[in-house]
Amino acid sequence: MSDTTLRASSPLRRFVPRRLHNWELSAGLFVVGLLVTVAVLAPYLAPYPPNQINILAALQSPSWHHWMGTDFVGRDVFSRVLYGLRIDMLVVAVITYLGLIIGVVIGTVAGYIGGWVDAVVGRIADTVIAFPFIVLVLAVVAIVGPGLKGVAIGIIIAGWALYSRVARSEMLALREQPFMMATKALGYSHLRAIFRHALPNLVRTSLVYSTVDVVVNMLVLAGMSYLGLGQQAPGADLGSIVASGQGYLLSAWWITTIPGVVLMLFGIGVSLIGDGITRGDLVQATP
Amino acid sequence: MTEPLLRIEDLRIGFTHRGGTTNVVRGVSLEVGPGESVGLVGESGSGKSLSCRSIIRLMPARAEIRARRVEFEGRDVLALTDAQLRAHRSHNVGMIFQDPFGCFDPTKRVGEQVAETLRVNAGMDRAAAHSRTLELLDGVNIDRPEQRYRSYPHELSGGMRQRVMIAMAISANPKLLIADEPTTALDVTTQAQILDLIQELRRQSGMAVLLVSHDFGVIAQACDRVVVMYGGYVVEAGPVGEVCARPQHPYTRALLESIPNLESAGHRVRREGIPGQPPNPAELTTGCPFVDRCRLVQPECANVDMSLIAVAEQHVTACPFVNEHRSAVTLKGSS
Repeated sequence: MSDTTLRASSPLRRFVPRRLHNWELSAGLFVVGLLVTVAVLAPYLAPYPPNQINILAALQSPSWHHWMGTDFVGRDVFSRVLYGLRIDMLVVAVITYLGLIIGVVIGTVAGYIGGWVDAVVGRIADTVIAFPFIVLVLAVVAIVGPGLKGVAIGIIIAGWALYSRVARSEMLALREQPFMMATKALGYSHLRAIFRHALPNLVRTSLVYSTVDVVVNMLVLAGMSYLGLGQQAPGADLGSIVASGQGYLLSAWWITTIPGVVLMLFGIGVSLIGDGITRGDLVQATP
Repeated sequence: MTEPLLRIEDLRIGFTHRGGTTNVVRGVSLEVGPGESVGLVGESGSGKSLSCRSIIRLMPARAEIRARRVEFEGRDVLALTDAQLRAHRSHNVGMIFQDPFGCFDPTKRVGEQVAETLRVNAGMDRAAAHSRTLELLDGVNIDRPEQRYRSYPHELSGGMRQRVMIAMAISANPKLLIADEPTTALDVTTQAQILDLIQELRRQSGMAVLLVSHDFGVIAQACDRVVVMYGGYVVEAGPVGEVCARPQHPYTRALLESIPNLESAGHRVRREGIPGQPPNPAELTTGCPFVDRCRLVQPECANVDMSLIAVAEQHVTACPFVNEHRSAVTLKGSS
């Protein structure tokens, strides 16, 4: 068959189910994969320590010595972007998927049990969703104090609710499926029915939604740092680098522009992955 | 008769809703002896599925069961605690459903799903469950079990899925296998194979089978006794041969007459259907539920209490006018 050769031609085709083969997913995986790789390898790739000050080399434009130029105290922007990306990606991954796990578990259990439990959980989730996202995060930062920790806690507190709602509605549909009834007929425990049979069947919607959420959380995190509420100086973070270059926008555009572009690339890459998975799902739904 | 495995007496199942209660099962009694094969026949909405689900209390929300007795091996099923109920479901009764696709978790390999029941319900370790699953799959006549073990539900045909479901249902060596319309979703050839398989497994293991169907042909082929249900009542029950040869209740008679047979093939005989629609359970009041469609309806039919009257050894019917019918039918036949 002709597609045997195709299948062997790239790692994507070898490890990803064929229904997911589309350019969106390939491009998204490539961009995000590249960013993740450089972020993980930041200590090895960065030509300078991220916080090393060199006043004599301040505000230099991009060159072979400083690929992305230097900032107002002569720190290498490339090194700072690498480290900033590293911490941002780590924090975003943790908060998004911690929120997902918490929300999906709560929503699934509520949907499975139903009745007043479902009603109470639903109203709590509604309240959180109705609350302005940024204000909620700001409130938590005000309590915990500025820093990535406060922002992370705030985003998790605000973020679980949507996953809970999505998982709950999927669970309501799943509960009527014959195989969920079969778990009862076979005498399985509720925990087994929920975690072994319901969860794997409903988590996909939440995973697809999380690709949107990752981008939003990344922007909120960078925004908080930009406002000085997230990563504290001298630590590098995409938002704080942008903020630090703001005063030099006309003379040293690279300090703000380059981390902004990296942020944008990350957003586009993750969105493409989400689109690719969704399209694969649509293909699968019409066999 | 020996002590029955399952004894249901005066089972009533109703759905509560704002306007009150709608009784769907209105007083069903049936018994299944150890190793016996009993068929439950009736049209949609006659309450046959609900009746057999009550045996493992697998009820839709809002359904309420009341019964003088639902006993399995002498134990009251309706009084079981949650833990006891789970043990009852996992060890005593195996169940096969109509839809062989929906009953599998689509995200797991079928072999793993069978192995899971063995690990959970029989306490086997992974390796033992794996090899036992292969034996079970082989036992339900699945080719190349190792390969099928690794298949996902959507990769199997309907007949094959039904075989896997049977393997799953019998994995805990249940004493009673409830097959709720196991062949409805299958084509006729596969249907016969599945019925043969159930028969064979019954002979091997000595389990009892309660086969639910709306197809009298299926029941006649596979069962020792038949229970005919209509409108939430048992209208007739008895040995299959006896009921087929001498149906007493006008409903059973009409049901049997509606089945095409080989003698009439090619003769362009018009099969007698049963006129009208099955009754809406919400509109049923007292008396015989078949009254609107019965060819032999009498004025007293509206007051019949639907208790079962013996007409022969082990053969009972709810119609009190059987003798009059017989003469009526003879008259009709001679005219």
